[in-house]
Amino acid sequence: MNDKLSHFHVTILIYITQTGAVIITLPRLLAEHFGTNGWLSLLFVYMVVSVNLLLITAVYRLGKGKSIFEIMERSISKIILYPFYLAIASLWAMLGCLAAKQYVLIFQMIAFPTTNPMIFKLLIDILAFILIIKNVYKIAKAATVFFWMIVWMILLLFYFYGDFEWSRLTPFVFQDSAITLNSFFSIYLAFLGYEVCLLLFPYVDKRTKLMKAVQISNLMLTFTYVYLSIIAYGFYGYKHLKTLEYPLLNMFAYIQFPFVQGTENLLFGFLLFSIIITIVMYWWGAKEISVQILPLKGRVLAFIILFISFCISYIPKSINDTERWLSILGYAEIGLSFGLPIGLILLLLIQRMRGEAR
Amino acid sequence: MRFFKRIMKTIFMKTIVSAASAQKAKVKPEIPTLTHILSEFNDCVDLVHRYYPEVNVHLVYFDHQVDHDKLYREVMNPLIHVHAEEEVPKLLEQSQFTLVRDSKELVEGILSGRVAIFSNSKTYLVDVFGLQSRSVSQSESETVITGPHDAFTEQAGINLSLIRQRIKSSHLKVIKLSVGEVTKTDVYILYIKDIANMTYVNEAIRRISNIEIDAVFDTNMLLQFIDDAPFSIFPQFLTSERPEAIASKLVAGRIVGIVDGSPSALSAPTSFFEYFSSSDDYNQRWMLGSASRLLRFLALFITLSFTSLYVSVTTFHYEMIPENLLITLTESRSKVPFPPLFEALFMEVTIELLREAGARLPSKIGQTIGIVGGIVIGQAAVQAGLTSNILIIAVASSAIASFVTPAYVMSASIRFLRFGLIILAGVWGNFGLAVGISAIVIHLSGLTSLGSSYLTPIAPFKPRDWKDVFIIAPFKYITERPSQSKSPNTVKNKMRK
Repeated sequence: MNDKLSHFHVTILIYITQTGAVIITLPRLLAEHFGTNGWLSLLFVYMVVSVNLLLITAVYRLGKGKSIFEIMERSISKIILYPFYLAIASLWAMLGCLAAKQYVLIFQMIAFPTTNPMIFKLLIDILAFILIIKNVYKIAKAATVFFWMIVWMILLLFYFYGDFEWSRLTPFVFQDSAITLNSFFSIYLAFLGYEVCLLLFPYVDKRTKLMKAVQISNLMLTFTYVYLSIIAYGFYGYKHLKTLEYPLLNMFAYIQFPFVQGTENLLFGFLLFSIIITIVMYWWGAKEISVQILPLKGRVLAFIILFISFCISYIPKSINDTERWLSILGYAEIGLSFGLPIGLILLLLIQRMRGEAR
Repeated sequence: MRFFKRIMKTIFMKTIVSAASAQKAKVKPEIPTLTHILSEFNDCVDLVHRYYPEVNVHLVYFDHQVDHDKLYREVMNPLIHVHAEEEVPKLLEQSQFTLVRDSKELVEGILSGRVAIFSNSKTYLVDVFGLQSRSVSQSESETVITGPHDAFTEQAGINLSLIRQRIKSSHLKVIKLSVGEVTKTDVYILYIKDIANMTYVNEAIRRISNIEIDAVFDTNMLLQFIDDAPFSIFPQFLTSERPEAIASKLVAGRIVGIVDGSPSALSAPTSFFEYFSSSDDYNQRWMLGSASRLLRFLALFITLSFTSLYVSVTTFHYEMIPENLLITLTESRSKVPFPPLFEALFMEVTIELLREAGARLPSKIGQTIGIVGGIVIGQAAVQAGLTSNILIIAVASSAIASFVTPAYVMSASIRFLRFGLIILAGVWGNFGLAVGISAIVIHLSGLTSLGSSYLTPIAPFKPRDWKDVFIIAPFKYITERPSQSKSPNTVKNKMRK
């Protein structure tokens, strides 16, 4: 397949990858960590992500679109690189796996308390496997369709306009909170997913305008988060928000139509369309990296990765365990999303000085 | 050692290949003789062998494949007026008689309705083909309210003329291929030069030429040999019985295939959304056409989700039903002893049985089946406590919605998928429904038609096509051919807006 990803496809793919199950807890996280008008912190995080994207842009430009593996393997011995590859592959495989597990556990909690969540997890893994064994172009096509199938849900926020009150937002900013670095990290996790664009270099050309597309998706995501958070703040007020475990689910439950009410499990079901792409992109990334170590067929590698992650996903039993694991791995991912581009830039500069980068 | 083996293999392969090609070169065409032809068609009672002793001419042909008037006019009458054997060669010099030097060619000629003429040591063929076929009539499966009503017949020649009648252009090209080692069915590939993309034309020719099967009888059978994904439930070539629909595909830059003996023509590349358009849409005011098309997409949603949502809600998610409706639903379901999954599957299978019976029976009996099924079984099933009233409504709406899809093959695929979604909803509720829909989307995103994305214009994202896919803009605003056809000549409308 010689198809290159289009600008629009990359924008949607990254947007959907970034959108995960965190969205249902985000308003509470903002209220907990940033207090009044906590949604403003999203703008700060947006700017930090944009800076990170600029670093990735520098890698793309300095490397002239070369794959990151090509850049690294030009200067670093494979003996050093293989453990590094293995670490990233494991990290991404685990992130994908835990994101799926978190979604499944929440679904089990709201609708199927007596069912074994690993059955749901297995179903999601099978779906993901079918998608991973296709090329990234087809994953992007599926992401585009899924995007159209969930984007309309933003319109549901109009439903809350009647009960929205500006006074609940208060004129104060970040009151009643102790802002720490950890607060920013916990919000930053909601933006992760953009870093997989590092692996898209070989699948794009100049017309794709890769980094512009990623910046647009980050902007779209910020808009979605800010809009949702403002509505949640104006609907519940920040004090009430702190007490809600999953504010978005509560908001869904509030929506009533003449023929249907209590739509939270139906609408949460639709979130699967977004989550499936998030986990697929992490697993696809893990597969792409693993190919560098084990030159096996894509299908075999994908199966191995999914099988191992499925076995590991048995360990965290509760939502709390899963969220704790996700936070720890998320922090590692934040480190990787900054560290890897910086390392690559340094490597490219050294290669340029040595006259290797031709 | 491995290297040595490879060298030896290469040398031997080359020797075998060169020996085979040399042998092929040595094969000379067999000279046709009357004895050979008569022995070839031994035991064929419909073969006619006529002899004119005055002029020493033999005629061999299949009685039911020739037009007798034409045979008399072109062959018999001129032969009657020849008085001496020496005059025959002069007569056979006329352009309608083709000299044949290969026995195989002669056999194929006779099989395709030509008359073989043996005179002295020479053999000629003359085309007097005149197969009896039904006349052009209305399509049974693709009816329209406005617009032309003629439909293709089983004869490729008539079908070609119906298209030529609509596209009077020398750029409309027709390529003839033959499929089926026994049936030798004629397959015609049509395209408009400078509008169609030659990559698609060549790809279609390549795929059809690669078919190695004994028999092909219909277009729908042929396209299963050339599908991109043979295991998919979705059709990857659009078929139609309507000449104007097929002509419009040609003008849109797509390629068309006609199979002799089939009343349907195929068109490619196609997309999932193309199956929801009908010729009727273009013959109405654009707003009404757009509304009809949007209604069909709504029908797609209803077909797939209504019954499965009923099963999901009544099995796992009662909290989704508003209070007023809940009382009615509970009352209705209180007598039903089965879980909603079995209840729904029972009704859906009954509906499918009725549909199948209606399709197989003559139309008058078919109507009776409809009444028996619709009123008797539906009403009786509720009274007997086998199903609930609301399920009957869900199943009926879903069945009616499935028939809204103009393309029967797509409608059948969607109906089949509905069963999968019902089972998933019955086992895992809304989660199962979401998994089922995701699986369908993932499958669709991997599909192609002649190598082109099946989800065009959603993915790849081509918003300029939307005005002729999801709605129909006023014709003035549809200025370009669909991007999927990758036409070298994209502009189709030069009118000023």
